[in-house]
Amino acid sequence: MTTSSESRLPPGTVLRGKWNGKSYTLRRLLGVGSNGQVYLAASGRSICAVKIGQDPAELQAEANVLASLDKRERGRSPFLLDVDDAVAGERVLPFYAMQYVPGMPVKTYIRRYGEEWVGVIGYRLLKRLSELHAAGWVFGDLKSDNILVGQYGRVSLVDYGGTTAMGRGVRQFTELYDRGFWSAGSRTAEPSYDWFAVAMLWIHVLDGKRLVQLSRTLLPQNRHPRELMTLVRTNRLLKPLESWLERALAGGFRDTEEACEAWRLLQQPQQRQAGNKSGVPGWMAGLFAVSLLLFVSVTAYWLLR
Amino acid sequence: MKQILLITDGGSNVGESPVVAAAQAYAEGIVVNVAGVVDDGAIGEQGATEIAEIARAGGGMSRIVTSRQLSGTVQMMTRKTVAATVQQAVNHELRQLFGVESVAELPPAKRAEVVRVMEDIGETAELRVALLVDASASMRSKLPSVEEAIRDLALSLKAREGESMVAVFHFPGDATDEPCVMDSDWTHGTDRLRMLTGKLKMRGTTPTGPALLHVLEFFRETCGNIMIEPVQTPSPIKRDDSVEVRSDYVV
Repeated sequence: MTTSSESRLPPGTVLRGKWNGKSYTLRRLLGVGSNGQVYLAASGRSICAVKIGQDPAELQAEANVLASLDKRERGRSPFLLDVDDAVAGERVLPFYAMQYVPGMPVKTYIRRYGEEWVGVIGYRLLKRLSELHAAGWVFGDLKSDNILVGQYGRVSLVDYGGTTAMGRGVRQFTELYDRGFWSAGSRTAEPSYDWFAVAMLWIHVLDGKRLVQLSRTLLPQNRHPRELMTLVRTNRLLKPLESWLERALAGGFRDTEEACEAWRLLQQPQQRQAGNKSGVPGWMAGLFAVSLLLFVSVTAYWLLR
Repeated sequence: MKQILLITDGGSNVGESPVVAAAQAYAEGIVVNVAGVVDDGAIGEQGATEIAEIARAGGGMSRIVTSRQLSGTVQMMTRKTVAATVQQAVNHELRQLFGVESVAELPPAKRAEVVRVMEDIGETAELRVALLVDASASMRSKLPSVEEAIRDLALSLKAREGESMVAVFHFPGDATDEPCVMDSDWTHGTDRLRMLTGKLKMRGTTPTGPALLHVLEFFRETCGNIMIEPVQTPSPIKRDDSVEVRSDYVV
């Protein structure tokens, strides 16, 4: 709340870290998070995202989560690149640099590329969450804006401000996705807290209007997962996910891997059902056209060489 | 850690000054936060000033919000106050040990360690929050949102690792000489949390100051005089610092 009123830094602003000495040239604002602004920045030849906050302790707490994830999940490129303070005139701006993740929020992606991507995105999301849970963290503030989808449904989680160690109180959440808000359980950080939010994500993505409407009109004492399930059963796109959503809302999986597996099983028959009558799905025809074109051009190249 | 959260919609009009009462609470180690609830966009300059002043005197923060935003705001203030209280205590230690003024002056690697410890303390420390609700006539339409915000706060606090207790008061009381009434004694979680039931007598007076003093007395009776934080005997330098730490949060 304090940060949204904070003035934006113009593109071209250079942040020079006073401890580690690296500098970052800000290119554009990527987004305003709960406790800071995130910019796309260049440091030397590489591109990264820089989060600038006001409270160094709060920012450091977030950086700590990233650092701990980097430590646990060695085989990948690190999330956290640098933590430092920049001096801008009289003010000290604490910031950290992290891996830049291109992509768009799930809701935008599905709107642009269609509902057939729900399966892949959902699967990748659950796989990512299962890694996170195995490392002892709960993501907490799971929502469309915090899940970026890149090429071919590749999923990255961003904004770890809500990420909480297992067993503690979830640090930050969004009402609509919060199981406490829907009288469906506590705000203790445990895997089922994230499953609930995943279920809410799909309801939000596929039937956002009715969900928001429902959350506004229900009296607090009537907020309950059964209201959500009524909505699910009356939506063409959500109906096929019914069994999974019901279990997720009730916290009814053994662990996140089981949730992931259940999701995968759900997708198989549904895809067959949803297949085009002609028997040739659009994407396959497209792929065929592309390969034909490739073939022709390669042949032409060889013949005319 | 002890906090009073005052939820009101305007200026007080009877009895002791609420600003002085809040200052007294802070002197006894209780932080006072204030949420001003306004739906029709009219709180008046006087009301707004008083809300900010009470929070400043009480070492806490204030926000003026609509009923819809109340729930989130209440939790944000509670959480930030816990963090700020820990930070203040830690800054004090840092000054003693390393001669630096705050966490922000430590190099990032050391800061990471200190922040980890701060989070542990913040999560595990005992926390008591007394909610003091203005139930004067103008608040009537906002009370359902207030109740929801309280229940929601209790739900969040229940998830903490440390022991967390909530008590609920409203003012004015039923009799003329009664500044405020306790609705719910210290309780864990949401099950036994009793609310500002429908039997409220809506009177015109707003004795914010006397009500604050009443809650302060309740703290003295139920929590003893044991200070949980080791930083309650501030040197003049420290007091300046604490104001600076909190000023970020005060509107």
